[in-house]
Amino acid sequence: MNISNYIYYGFFTIIETLLRMFPFPAKTGYQKVGKPNEDSPVLLTCNFHLTILRLKKATRGLNYHLLIANSKGINVWCAATGGSLNNHSVISVIKTSGIENKVNHRKIILPQLAASGVESKVIQQNVGWKILWGPVNAQDIPEFFESSFEKTNEMKQVEFRFVQRIEMAIMWIFLATAVLMPIWGPLFKLEAAFLLAQICFIYFLVLISFPIFERIFQKEIEKKKAFFTIGNLVVLLINLVYAAIGVVLYVIVYQKDYSWILLRWSIVSFLLVLLVNMELKGSSSTYKSDSHADKLYDIAVDLEKCKGTGICVDVCPRNCYVLDTEQKKITMPRQKFCVQCGACIVQCPFDALYFMNRKGDIIQPEIVRKFKLNLMGKRT
Amino acid sequence: MKVLESAPHRYDKGIKILTLGKIDKAYDRLIESIKKDDNTLDIGCGTGMLSFRAVLKGAKVTGIDINPEMLEIAKKRVNELEVKDKIAFLEMGVAELDHFENDSFDVIMSGLCFSELSDDEISFTLNQVNRILRNEGKFLLIDEIRSKSIVKRIINWFLRIPLVVITYILTQTTSRALKNIEKRITESNLLIQSRRSNFLDNFVEFIIIKGDKK
Repeated sequence: MNISNYIYYGFFTIIETLLRMFPFPAKTGYQKVGKPNEDSPVLLTCNFHLTILRLKKATRGLNYHLLIANSKGINVWCAATGGSLNNHSVISVIKTSGIENKVNHRKIILPQLAASGVESKVIQQNVGWKILWGPVNAQDIPEFFESSFEKTNEMKQVEFRFVQRIEMAIMWIFLATAVLMPIWGPLFKLEAAFLLAQICFIYFLVLISFPIFERIFQKEIEKKKAFFTIGNLVVLLINLVYAAIGVVLYVIVYQKDYSWILLRWSIVSFLLVLLVNMELKGSSSTYKSDSHADKLYDIAVDLEKCKGTGICVDVCPRNCYVLDTEQKKITMPRQKFCVQCGACIVQCPFDALYFMNRKGDIIQPEIVRKFKLNLMGKRT
Repeated sequence: MKVLESAPHRYDKGIKILTLGKIDKAYDRLIESIKKDDNTLDIGCGTGMLSFRAVLKGAKVTGIDINPEMLEIAKKRVNELEVKDKIAFLEMGVAELDHFENDSFDVIMSGLCFSELSDDEISFTLNQVNRILRNEGKFLLIDEIRSKSIVKRIINWFLRIPLVVITYILTQTTSRALKNIEKRITESNLLIQSRRSNFLDNFVEFIIIKGDKK
């Protein structure tokens, strides 16, 4: 990689990290990575520009054919679970990119997180290509290639890692700044600098200390608590303490008519804290946003239908499943870590898995496959 | 990210705002070349704006789209209009057009769908259209295009920005413009019989027929 590549990579990484909330569509279709021949593996990914950049960086030195499927510029997991990366996008890129004349095999490696939106059964029937579910992170692809496409449990698991948490913090800081500063800046000048400092302070602290909140959330997820919970309240209080420290610091530094400043500052801090708190779970990769009804559902197994093929073991991003090889049935020893992404339900060839809540309401596999997750909660 | 996901029930309204109501008139005009009992295919039917117009003219319609939620809305309308035996909606992408037999349609139409496709997909679709369309058949294409004149393009650009923002806020819908479509149509051995565009040359209606066989 020469210097201009570094600049290109750095520039787009910064811009697209700051604006991560928004789609960045890249050109779809076929690309060569390295010097692939007709036996080289075929990989497929979404057309979120940042994803492609990172994939290529992580797989430098490898030779493969890359297909970029239309996901409307959204990252793999969001696009697959939200319905933008679906069977049609995969079938379309396989058929229209000319890949069928470039290789002499019919195996395609998809990111594991695409499993909530792309059905391997449909792809096999429709175009005759066999899907292999690759690792969650692009960084694991070189190792995945070396081990002749065997995944370890670590490669399958989604974690909300430190770097990702920092990334989310930066994204939120940028958005909050872009919304608040044009109003606050001209009005209160020096105070605006303090507000900016506080925005950074709160977001970094909350996202860095996320593992602490995680324990509270985890207990509530197990109990299937609804929208506003004790956990949220605790997080809210901790945040408010952060904010209060900020306010006090400000008053100490800027001693002048502080009663009025204190009031206005408390209000804006409270709004900020509320905002952080609202989407905290939604911006993590291990919890579902509070606005989704799905989070109140559990995965249920119909043991009569289960044939123990273990496809769910392969696609679960939280390693919830273990295959009982003697009984040829699936077990869920880690059910409490489930994020309700629905990948296992979508992939099960025998329709043995479905969503069920405590009241006994059921969401059947065909509904999960057809109506992807969106804000309107279409599935239920 | 979730907020950006499509909202099908607002799609029709969004498109009407974006095209400033041109879309309805254009559809009505194009549908005039459909005759009774024509076997018709609607590529990217969405909620069925074109399909239902064709059915009401007495045609037999197959509508295909990849968005199951849009199709759900279309299917609801089928029940309201009681035209069940003359219309079918299938969840199918353009890459699956090769499931249809040669020469199976009298009319193929597509409204605001090509601009959603990639270059590869457009080539594939045009070739398939050429194959599944009967010799005397017509291919009706309506879409937003990028004007060839730079001046018009700049005017368009300025007019479009506020429109795009308003439409996105109201309906989370947006659209793109097609480039060089004429050239690609001729490359696929199809002939443009008539082309009609508005003054700013950003919205075009084609009536296309099959070219001479090689």
